[in-house]
Amino acid sequence: MTGGAVALLCALPLVLSSTWLLVMFLSFVWLILTANYDVLDGFLGHINLGQGAFFGLGAYVATILLNVPSIQQLGPLTHVIIGAAALAAAALFAALMALPLFRLKGLYFAIGTLILIFLLQVLALNLGPLTGGSYGLYVPPAFFLSTFAGYYLALLMALASVGLNFYLSRSTLGLAFRCIKEDEVAAHSVGLNLMKYKTLAIVIASVPSAAAGILFALNSGFIDPNIALGVERSLLPPLMALMGGTGTVLGPVFGTAIIRVLETVFFHYLRLPVPSMLFFGITLLAVALCIPEGLMKSRWVKRLQPRGGTR
Amino acid sequence: MARELELIISGVSLGGLYALVAFALSLTISTTRVLNVAHGVFFVWGGALFVIFSQRLKLHPALALVLLTACFFVLALLFQWGIVRSLLGRSTHRLLVGSIMATFGLGLSMESALGYTWVTFVDPYPVFTSPLAMFPVSLGGVSLSGSRLVILGFVLVMVTSFHLFLQKTFLGKGARAMAQNFDGFLVIGLNPYRLSMILFTLAIVATAISGAFYVLAVPLNPYEGLPLTLKALTVVILAGVGNLPATLVAGAVLGLAEVTTSQFLGAIWAPAVSLTILFLVLVLRPTGFFGKGVY
Repeated sequence: MTGGAVALLCALPLVLSSTWLLVMFLSFVWLILTANYDVLDGFLGHINLGQGAFFGLGAYVATILLNVPSIQQLGPLTHVIIGAAALAAAALFAALMALPLFRLKGLYFAIGTLILIFLLQVLALNLGPLTGGSYGLYVPPAFFLSTFAGYYLALLMALASVGLNFYLSRSTLGLAFRCIKEDEVAAHSVGLNLMKYKTLAIVIASVPSAAAGILFALNSGFIDPNIALGVERSLLPPLMALMGGTGTVLGPVFGTAIIRVLETVFFHYLRLPVPSMLFFGITLLAVALCIPEGLMKSRWVKRLQPRGGTR
Repeated sequence: MARELELIISGVSLGGLYALVAFALSLTISTTRVLNVAHGVFFVWGGALFVIFSQRLKLHPALALVLLTACFFVLALLFQWGIVRSLLGRSTHRLLVGSIMATFGLGLSMESALGYTWVTFVDPYPVFTSPLAMFPVSLGGVSLSGSRLVILGFVLVMVTSFHLFLQKTFLGKGARAMAQNFDGFLVIGLNPYRLSMILFTLAIVATAISGAFYVLAVPLNPYEGLPLTLKALTVVILAGVGNLPATLVAGAVLGLAEVTTSQFLGAIWAPAVSLTILFLVLVLRPTGFFGKGVY
């Protein structure tokens, strides 16, 4: 079943028009962010509203390096260097931020992480010579990523992210995460090094998001603080994960699909006389109230599943 | 000397504005634990409705305030009945997640509804300002904005009365009990739905009236609601959640920090400073400058 779905997604670019290819590419980018968000929420029990910071950091580091002339002339090595540098920057940022952030819990953790994206936004706006400020940065035309190639790369990355969550749902590492989620004191008393596992979680959640940022920047060819570090990059992944159901492997996939379909329908298809944001907001509200645990954990879906079915 | 004095005064009056946005949010987060992301949107709606009543319908400002209170009383009951009721029974983590998601949705839709109707039917350039701008007051060679003084006075009165409400009345004691221990609160037979209804009604009406006072000094636009929530959260956390008197001090500290930064480093660094202060306070002292305060 999963294999069939993946095969279908691989074959899809052959029939899709370029507009729809772009829509799918962006959906995969969102899926990566959502699946990574779920590592911290679903498995570790922390609400991370800073997922977009990793995305923006990846996009910015890659684009800044691409604009350095000596790096442009390295041939095929260029892509390796900018990719490695952007991913390393995101991982390092995550590891550094883990130390202060994981002293916080619940609401405080959520706000602490939300500050990260605003801080990066302010830095990107104010460090004009490096980041271009509010004018943004252009990717040199030679390094554009076609949507066709981007589709497959993003699909690969999204599969890797969902696969990571699948691994977490079956492995001892994931068990340790969930143990910390249920009861930190108990987890500590059985000998788990809390800080080590939490840092590991935020680092593995940051790397694919940064990769998504690189793909997005190379494909769109232009980034500015609102595109790469907009606050919706941080707020939509939690909503998508919650809609699907956190802590389930397929929850983020379905959540992302639903929100992307709603978005596409509301913002591109229905030419409504009233603003689409109104309906989008009402939909979010309705979901939060009607299926609080998310789709995959709601009563109706549970009834469909055989015992011991997909988690 | 006069320049330092002016800096201090403008910082403190900016702080008064921040405290105005923040204090009702502090009250509801600390007692019901529902994080109302739509708080800033209610605030902007308060300002907008006040402008409609007093400017477009040409009502007396006092009458406009009464009408505003009535409207938001109904809105608050709907908010409690529709959203808060179904959130309250959940576990702490689910309550937080659910309240962020539900009120974010509500905030988005209210924001775009206001922006759209205003631009379509009232004014293509949507900015709410009040016609009641006060004359400046001169004090010891430094001129003060009269509207900001009125706002400062209003915040002082509001914060003091809410503080006394929490400290002295039976309902206020119930609210503090709910904040301290929800299970214990249920065991002694108090009704969380009724109490949260009262608290949210008070908080939302106070938010709306604060919005009406805010437009005296600073113009608002329909899409400023969610950023204002963040500003309010900053102040609430600096002060310590639920510590109402400290919101005044935290607002002043934040205002002073921002004013000094814009003076010496340029206005573009002001947001960075307030965010850095917030981050440092969160990490070094998560209960705020002043500990847990009332609770």
